[in-house]
Amino acid sequence: MSAAVLAQRFATAWALFQGLLIEALPFLLLGVLIATGARWLSPGGRWLRRLPAHPVLGPLTGAGLGLALPACECGNVPVARRLLAAGTPVGTALGFLFAAPVLNPIVLASTWAAFPDRPWLLLLRPLGAVVVAVGLALLLGLLGEGALLTGELLEERRLSRPLSELSLLERRSGLLGAPAVPPSPPPPSRPTAAELLRHGSTEFLTLALVLVAGCAIAALVQTLLPRQWFLTLGGQPTLSILALMLFALVVSVCSSVDAFLALGFAAQITPGALLAFLLLGPVIDLKLFGLLGQLFRPRALLLTLAGSGLMVLLIGQLVNLWRR
Amino acid sequence: MTPSPPPFDASAPPPPLPLWRRAALWRGAALALWSLLLLRSAVDGRLDLLLRAAFHPLVAFGGVALGSLALAQLAQARPGTAGARERLRAPERWLVLATALITVAAVVWPPAPSFAELASQRPRDQTAEEELAFVLPPSQRSLTDWVRLLRAQPDPRLFAGDPVRISGFVLPITGEAPQVARLLVRCCLADASPVGLPVRWSAVGPTPPADQWVAIEGVMAVEAAPGAGGEERLVVVPRGIRPIPRPARPLEP
Repeated sequence: MSAAVLAQRFATAWALFQGLLIEALPFLLLGVLIATGARWLSPGGRWLRRLPAHPVLGPLTGAGLGLALPACECGNVPVARRLLAAGTPVGTALGFLFAAPVLNPIVLASTWAAFPDRPWLLLLRPLGAVVVAVGLALLLGLLGEGALLTGELLEERRLSRPLSELSLLERRSGLLGAPAVPPSPPPPSRPTAAELLRHGSTEFLTLALVLVAGCAIAALVQTLLPRQWFLTLGGQPTLSILALMLFALVVSVCSSVDAFLALGFAAQITPGALLAFLLLGPVIDLKLFGLLGQLFRPRALLLTLAGSGLMVLLIGQLVNLWRR
Repeated sequence: MTPSPPPFDASAPPPPLPLWRRAALWRGAALALWSLLLLRSAVDGRLDLLLRAAFHPLVAFGGVALGSLALAQLAQARPGTAGARERLRAPERWLVLATALITVAAVVWPPAPSFAELASQRPRDQTAEEELAFVLPPSQRSLTDWVRLLRAQPDPRLFAGDPVRISGFVLPITGEAPQVARLLVRCCLADASPVGLPVRWSAVGPTPPADQWVAIEGVMAVEAAPGAGGEERLVVVPRGIRPIPRPARPLEP
């Protein structure tokens, strides 16, 4: 490759990077503002902790919360982080994290606008998102909080919970022989505006840099790998699903517009591959990988990738069998 | 005789830090840099090159909101506030430094993508068109209008002899002559897909280089499509080709 071609390619990657970043930043800010609002409305996360902890009802409730948040996946991460830090049951927070990017009014409306002639897709996209979210919440729940969440988030989460809910080891203080249930602490006070501002600003600045890394990787990979590679397998029942899943990971577009992108190549691929593209992207992609790394330990992140990939592949296969 | 130091008072607040060590100042500056990037992008025309127009107000709103947050954060660094006593610590120092590097690089180094390079990596837009309810007269149709019309009415003979006035960039095609093309964008440049029309360049002279923007006036003609299928396709037969600068809004919805 000559130096001129390399320079041209780099200039194109730089433009793609800026496009992805500038489009995602307002959504990230919206997510941080909502998370900060939740911190103010529910100091110490009292009512957030009362959300259902049932292994299936919890994720379903979390998924339902997505209907109230019209943001795509970048905006969801800070809100899910706030839920987890405030002591919300893990399954509920994960249900929100994984399903809300699809189960929100903007995404449902854009899917309908892009594919008015495919009613099955309008039904199966939200349904599939809920199935994947519940499945992932159950799967990640097997790890336990200690192996799932990053140390910093775990610490914040422990601080939000009453001592009576923590084991003696988790409390890191206490006396043997002391009463089993310590006196309940006074309810946490509402944070001041200065505290909210400091916390929200630091959170935005941290997540924005993580987003920068994700956008840079996505832009480079998109520039170096011809998109045609992903679509040449479009007619194969299984390979097309795998190829479009890989494409969803690489292309890293927001869930609010991915249906319009899919419209451009929907005629070239199997129905299962189309659904797989619309289901996997909102859960995980190159741009999101770093953001999710602010919540999960690396092992949990890999499990999310593997679990969501497997479930989406199965759903895609079922759709291809049904719509063949 | 030296005066005795004042007695220690544990309840007294710590003295304020020098201005340049206050965390609120640097945090506010970092937020201001992100705001600057979004606001600068909203006014310098780069959004026309990166995002669909529907998203432009969102970027401007994000810039204003971040600017307001930056001002509020900077106000926390004033003497007499709690923020004046919070020191900038090591992890946040790196955060501010990295933010400054990225935002300054993005502001001073605007995007300059090669549309031909980008289009060569992407498959053609294959959006199936419904029957078009409204069709412009031939000479007023843009390149995208022509492509959409041909999808709704795929018989090329219907349009043979129609006058054409279109503009686009020169897109090299493997195994055949370059086409004149445009990029369709649904959200941002990452999802751009090309649409193009074949051109009989030999009618007016040498083929312009890849990526060159051109305005073409001519007529539509029918020719055999490449390949052994015996199919026909429309081709633009130019009467005149004029190199033009890249338009202010090069992306099409």
